[in-house]
Amino acid sequence: MPADPTIAVRLIQQVANQDRDAFSQLYDRFSTLVFTIAMRMLKAHSDAEDLLQEVFVQVWRQAQSYSAERGSPEAWIVNIARSRAIDKIRSIRRMEKSFVLTEDPARAESTANVESSAVESEVRMAMNSALANLPEAQRKVLELAYFGGLTQTEIAERLAEPLGTVKTRMRSGIQRLREMLGTQAM
Amino acid sequence: MSNEHEHWREHGEIYALGALDGQELKEFEAHLASGCAICEAYVRETRETLAVLHRSLRPAAPPLAIKSRILDQIAPQAMMRPRQEKTPWLNWNWWGLGIGAVATAAVALVLTSNLTRTQSDLEKAKAQLAAAQIESAQKDELLQLLSSQDVRLVELKGLEAAPAAKAKLFWNPGARSGILLINGLPKTPTDKAYELWGIAGNEPVPAGVFRVDDQGQARFRMPVLGQGKNFDKFAVTLEPAAGVEKPSGPMVLLGSL
Repeated sequence: MPADPTIAVRLIQQVANQDRDAFSQLYDRFSTLVFTIAMRMLKAHSDAEDLLQEVFVQVWRQAQSYSAERGSPEAWIVNIARSRAIDKIRSIRRMEKSFVLTEDPARAESTANVESSAVESEVRMAMNSALANLPEAQRKVLELAYFGGLTQTEIAERLAEPLGTVKTRMRSGIQRLREMLGTQAM
Repeated sequence: MSNEHEHWREHGEIYALGALDGQELKEFEAHLASGCAICEAYVRETRETLAVLHRSLRPAAPPLAIKSRILDQIAPQAMMRPRQEKTPWLNWNWWGLGIGAVATAAVALVLTSNLTRTQSDLEKAKAQLAAAQIESAQKDELLQLLSSQDVRLVELKGLEAAPAAKAKLFWNPGARSGILLINGLPKTPTDKAYELWGIAGNEPVPAGVFRVDDQGQARFRMPVLGQGKNFDKFAVTLEPAAGVEKPSGPMVLLGSL
């Protein structure tokens, strides 16, 4: 998580020129973030390590495709990490022919109230004040999509809610985050 | 977003979240592919907003060995892939084939031996280079952090559980991050890890887990902590290897700003 995105932009530009030193610095800045997301999405330590490696090898190979005008370095790298993690999650689901994920918060909530409370408590502690103030139903759909890799249709099936309700919750949650974070929609 | 794009507004938000699917996904991707700068910017802005989701996670530091593994993997591939060019000297006359074959076998033997040794040397040099680059990058990072005018030095002293331990935290409050240099901590038990905490008032905030080497030393780059907290103390506790949300083990180091 860089303190100054302009430094990270410069590092990516240097990486695009095969600068291994810049790559090393870029890794130091973002590896914890990527690994944190990987652990949250994939749960298993070994899977998270594999993902971390894949993400940074892709960063090395595709650095020249990064454009600062299209987003921050953090957003670019996180997008790579999430896309790969979602691919892995969906691949596992296909193999298992099931949408049930081990230790998935939504699964835990639907099967055990005690576990649900613990998971919710953990999530609440990790969330910053903006997320803590988000209505639970909105936060849940955002997390199922963002960390669980579920599509809107899958979330609707998982929660046994109409698709329209899920969409509304997603959009309301995002809008509320915008308001709390002071970011401006166009 | 202008009215003409209201139709895409819903799709753009759900697309940024990664949850758009089916026909709606196809339509929106086609729309983006048509070069709509408004929607592209809207997706980008939404992703920045959604970053709060991952920024709020408790940081998990990856094992140190992964970096070396990645640096090995991105080693210049040219070194491992000899160019396969045509060798004009192979276009010899047939009458010299017998003598040529013997000579070629001998040359090939020598070349193979030399190539094997060269590749081995290259591998060693590559590993040394990678290690040097890691060390250099770490020093650069430390230097960069230390050269900031905002940086504060926090000295952490060993407590009863580790009286010989001491640590220095170079804390950059503007960046909400820092580097912790640790000495004298007991070797990390297999199933445990040391966890750093930023303390705002009486509220401890997890700041990543680390292990020390056999000499009880470690250099730990802490992740960026969340906004809205004024940290006035930092502490280290011994916790389960994966880290915890609230301190539960013995506190081994403590220091104040």
